Amino acid sequence: MKIFIRLVILIIPIVGFVFFYNLLTEDKFYPGANFDRFNVPVFALDDITSQKIYTKDDLNDELLLNVWASWCITCRVEHGFLMELKQEGFLITGLNYKDESTDANNWLNLYGNPYSFSLHDIKGSLALDMGVTGAPETFLIKNGEVLVHYSGEVNLAVWDNVFYPVIKENKMFR
Amino acid sequence: MIAEVSHFFLVTASGLFLLSFIFSTLTYKTNHNIEILVSRVFSYGSYFVFVSFLIYIWLSIQSDFSIRYIAEHSNKDLAVFYKISSIWSAHEGSMFLWIVFLSLWSQFFNFKLPQADLLKAPSIGILSFIIFGFLIFLLFTSNPYDSLLPIAPANGADINPILQDPALAIHPPFLYLGYVGFVIAFAYNTAFLIKGDLDINWEKIIRPWSLIAWILLTIGITLGSWWAYYELGWGGYWFWDPVENVALMPWMAGTALIHSLYVSSRSNSLRSWTILLSISVFSLSLFGAFIVRSGIIDSVHAFANDPQRGLYLLLFSGILIISSLAFYALRFPKLVSSNLIKPKSKESFLSINNILFVTAIFAVMLGVLYPLIFDFIYEERISVGPPYYNTIIAPIAFLSSIFLVFSVGSSWQRSSKLFFIYSPLSLSILLSIFVACFIAFKLQNFEWWFIGGNFSGFLILIRYLLLVINNISKKMYFNKASAIAHAGLGILLISISINAGLSYEKIINIKAGDSFQDDMYTFNLLDFELINEDNFDSIKAKFLIKSNDASEQVFYMFPEKRKYFIRGQITSESAIQITPFKDIYITLGDQLDNGHWVVNIQYNYFIRWIWISAIIMCLGSLMAIKERSIKK
Repeated sequence: MKIFIRLVILIIPIVGFVFFYNLLTEDKFYPGANFDRFNVPVFALDDITSQKIYTKDDLNDELLLNVWASWCITCRVEHGFLMELKQEGFLITGLNYKDESTDANNWLNLYGNPYSFSLHDIKGSLALDMGVTGAPETFLIKNGEVLVHYSGEVNLAVWDNVFYPVIKENKMFR
Repeated sequence: MIAEVSHFFLVTASGLFLLSFIFSTLTYKTNHNIEILVSRVFSYGSYFVFVSFLIYIWLSIQSDFSIRYIAEHSNKDLAVFYKISSIWSAHEGSMFLWIVFLSLWSQFFNFKLPQADLLKAPSIGILSFIIFGFLIFLLFTSNPYDSLLPIAPANGADINPILQDPALAIHPPFLYLGYVGFVIAFAYNTAFLIKGDLDINWEKIIRPWSLIAWILLTIGITLGSWWAYYELGWGGYWFWDPVENVALMPWMAGTALIHSLYVSSRSNSLRSWTILLSISVFSLSLFGAFIVRSGIIDSVHAFANDPQRGLYLLLFSGILIISSLAFYALRFPKLVSSNLIKPKSKESFLSINNILFVTAIFAVMLGVLYPLIFDFIYEERISVGPPYYNTIIAPIAFLSSIFLVFSVGSSWQRSSKLFFIYSPLSLSILLSIFVACFIAFKLQNFEWWFIGGNFSGFLILIRYLLLVINNISKKMYFNKASAIAHAGLGILLISISINAGLSYEKIINIKAGDSFQDDMYTFNLLDFELINEDNFDSIKAKFLIKSNDASEQVFYMFPEKRKYFIRGQITSESAIQITPFKDIYITLGDQLDNGHWVVNIQYNYFIRWIWISAIIMCLGSLMAIKERSIKK
């Protein structure tokens, strides 16, 4: 009887431990990640320097589209990682969201510009069409088709678990 | 620069705690000096943690946005009070606060415990190990000093407006104090198990510490419940939310522990139970920290969870829990007392309640884990709601009230004769059946839980009332602390039952100038007012309310909807009219296309008494610390 109680006392927490260990290390759903594919809607938007009007055809074949704004603190947090991505050769286009162009340009001058160019979506119309709910959000786009939509800060963990597997699978950025 | 000093102090502290732990492992072989060293090094470690936290508070007040955490959770326009409370509004800072409390509380214990105490060095060693482990967790996986340099933002983000509230700002500190408070019982009893010297009287040492921890945890839970009631706009006081449940489990285990401690300090019989409970309380606190902070429950949470955090917490808690239980299993045969508990003795009733409490804990734990297990096996998401918890917890609460009442007149270590015709027990059962039936008829509610809840509540109240009357008239000693705390429990059970039985709500559509009448009050919606505040715009409805009865009482209520600028979040500020036995609770909903507003009117009965009874229980427990010293 005593042996039995001693065993039970030890087995309960060990079972719990093993269960949670499996749960945590399992490949899991990443909150914020959306893998429903859709085509980038048609648009015509200024860039933030007001130099050129861009349309859907001006987007590269393979790119990351990052929704950002100068008022967005998390974008500031995410910024360092985007700079690293740029240095590793990933093409990132900005979608400046509900922001004044002077503020946006000052922000980029101050912190550095990770973007090939930034579309100026002051009304948030393209963002609305693409299902953006706030900043930052990041899209992975190949030949005009959105492969990944992620809401929230992109960091190394998100990159490795959400973006990288899709990039590898679709043989992008070679 | 100042941030680096604070950071450096924290790193130094972790080194000191590691050192203190290493020294404590040497105490078996060497002399007394090492034991003094353990205690000294530990003190320095906790001072470093404390100073580091004070500097962090200062950085927060100064709005040092070069620190990422402060930039993300505080901004310049906040009042100083909320700048400070923003520290514990998210993971990193609240973990920091948790560790600060852990080390200060342990340092207080270290300071109070005489150096001659045999278990001092090993228990301080265990505490050092725990604090060291959490400091490493903080510094490596959730560093509150992460920098945004070279360029800091000009202003920070706002904290969530529903968190800008005094009750919410102070309730996490109380909860954390309660959680970490039980670490003393855990460390001291684990030290006792390691030493294995059965003659050591640990009950006397850990009883006051556990009582204080229980009080703080109770206050923390009560404040959280009060906040949820007036801020979330749902009008309830308890939602069986996983985060609430992980606070409830250590609370229930803690309740069982302080009672079990009481028994084992009077007779040797429940010693092994008490030790197991003292390990469980802190283990459940750790489990709660793991569940909340690993993000495995709240998977819709907006932030990307770092899986490393969960793994580290799991491994570290696993080491603590499994190793202390292994020592328990090792010493178990020696701990079990040879003398059997006599049936119908005081110990027997307390033991039954111990078992009932453990059952309740397992039930709540199952409710928390079931969705996880289900998701793991069937890949489907389900949730376990209030009906499950209510059907399981209500009968357990009922049964344990009965056994509590049995224990009142019973004696230690011998069977007691409880049921004779004129016994206080028979009298209180009869009286409370009468009262419960009277209430049921009066309020026309014949649900089993309603009658049962009122019965058990009044049973406790009446039984203790009879005890007090009897013992005061005969000038006999009785445990005042216990009488007060349990009277609080009686009021709690009655309030919960009446609240659940009587409260109701109605949703109406109303436009300015119209009125609405129910059987108690007439609500006139006079007009709306637009208010522009510093950080939000608000639309405020003005209700004139008249009672329909003879008193013709008249008052105004102002439910409100706010839109905050920085986050664009819309919150509803309910208006609450407090009367002694019920709250009128009005929440403004959405405006419809035809200009009407959706308004939710709730009558919440006895809700204040739920919190008042928690305060009464805390007062009773506070007196229990002072209650005459325990004889053995």
